[in-house]
Amino acid sequence: MNAVVMEHLSKVYTGGKMAVADMSLTLETGEVFGFLGPNGAGKTTTVKVLNGMLQPSEGNCLVFGEDPFRNPEKVHAVSGVMTEHAQMYNNLTGMQNLVFYGSMFGIGEEESRKRARGLLQQLELADDAGQKLSAYSTGMRQRLSIARALMHQPKILFLDEPTSGLDPESAHHVNQMILALAKEQGMTIFLCTHQLRYAQEICTRYGLIDEGRLLSVGTLEQLRDGVGSGMKVRIQTDHLPNLPGISLPERTENDTCGGTGKTAEMMKVQEFEIAVGSEEEIPDIVSQIVENGSKIYHVSASRPSLEDIYFAITAQRRQQ
Amino acid sequence: MNRAISAIVKKDMREITANKQLLLMIVMVPLVLTLVVPTIFLLSAHFVPEQVDELQPLMRLLPEDVQSMGTEAIMVRLLMDNILPVFFLIIPIMAASVMAASSFVGEKEQNTLETLLYSPLTVRQLFHAKVLASFLFSMLISWISFLLMVLVLGAESFALTGVMLIPGISWLLVLVLLSPAVSLIAITMIVRGSAKAQNVMEAQQKAAFLILPVVFLIAGQFIGAMLINAWILAGLAVVLGLAAWILLKISLRKFSGEMLLGNR
Repeated sequence: MNAVVMEHLSKVYTGGKMAVADMSLTLETGEVFGFLGPNGAGKTTTVKVLNGMLQPSEGNCLVFGEDPFRNPEKVHAVSGVMTEHAQMYNNLTGMQNLVFYGSMFGIGEEESRKRARGLLQQLELADDAGQKLSAYSTGMRQRLSIARALMHQPKILFLDEPTSGLDPESAHHVNQMILALAKEQGMTIFLCTHQLRYAQEICTRYGLIDEGRLLSVGTLEQLRDGVGSGMKVRIQTDHLPNLPGISLPERTENDTCGGTGKTAEMMKVQEFEIAVGSEEEIPDIVSQIVENGSKIYHVSASRPSLEDIYFAITAQRRQQ
Repeated sequence: MNRAISAIVKKDMREITANKQLLLMIVMVPLVLTLVVPTIFLLSAHFVPEQVDELQPLMRLLPEDVQSMGTEAIMVRLLMDNILPVFFLIIPIMAASVMAASSFVGEKEQNTLETLLYSPLTVRQLFHAKVLASFLFSMLISWISFLLMVLVLGAESFALTGVMLIPGISWLLVLVLLSPAVSLIAITMIVRGSAKAQNVMEAQQKAAFLILPVVFLIAGQFIGAMLINAWILAGLAVVLGLAAWILLKISLRKFSGEMLLGNR
């Protein structure tokens, strides 16, 4: 069964602002889907529409076969949502908050406590369970929100910027937990973020969104193919000869001075970036440079990151 | 989903009792109305001269058998049967308004409303839970105030006149019918207004308009223009109860999450 189906979904706010425009997308169960775009791109609105908080202006959507606007309570029973605007009570402790939200899902107090203890442990909040929320830092609140969204063991988890406000260590920890949920429990994850680096760590598929429009959908490989940008080789050498069959260096970077030891003569080392079709081409390039009598100081190959792809796609769109 | 509704009711009660300032405000009004004011009234009735001209128009409206009683006895009877019951319209409205005004807006201000809306409760059930919490709270405050009042005034009147003050039949109507009905109307209107308001202050200002008509009713009591008897009370209670029920139904029809959250 598909976890999420969106067909030509649009949302226009009363002021006339089009937050989501003609979006069609399908998520399979167990996917970790990265919904990526800048602030104001329409990510949160999409989450709200998918959870029945907002009525779609056009098109329709289903979450585990249920229409979220018609049957919000059925969707809420299987979905966990964590967004910036879904906070908890400052005058209650972390534990009391979780038990309260557990009871909102019809979970008994004992069972709620048990689940809460487990989640607090997993999210490294066990020591602060008895503290009032008003004493929590932003990162702690963020983690408690994730715990809250998981209390009823949902089938799908909507996370809106879960790592914003977290230090790199906590962000990494949260990411690992999300990954584990997907792998061990088969939970579907709908992750909205503008932090592309964290998304690349865990997502299996991506949707890039800007100004309410879905620009591209696919796995990292598919997105790479889509922008036609393949592998790049970075070479530091004192001289780059003409290489037959190899396109000219794409760009040269800061000149650096190489050489070590007290007698070493100073020489000019330049960095080149060459686009290649595959790894197979690298030995050939290296041997040609060496045969030409040049010295090589560094060779590394890199594939475009999600960030590179994202910027390439948004740039393409702006050009259009 | 009864567990969820009772969890919201408990949580709202805990929230209001944890806020000492708010609680003090809620407790002070009933204390003044049911203990301080009647005590002053009893003492003045006991120590004022027998004939007070200003009271004559009011006295003449009373049943003949009552008119034959002494001034102090009449005043005590007036206090018990005609003046104090009206305070029991003010007390629940006041208690409910403080709690109800903060119900939706308070959640909105704390950014917790959206979290509640992501639960499997329908918006209607949420509305029910909020109304129920305020209703139970206002009834609790009323009944505790009533008990305290009966005990303290009973003791005072016994000390002053040697006669215990026994609440009449109108009390039963007030506490069991009229006061819940009025309170429910107030709560429904406040919770509805509170859902649309942007902050607690705005919601409480709206609530103040509900207390004004009751204040006029009290003024009417004192000038003798309007004398409430058990039949009028019973009639009023039935009408208000019906009005409360209709209002609740209408309010529920117009509720949606999008309306509550606004376009954020």
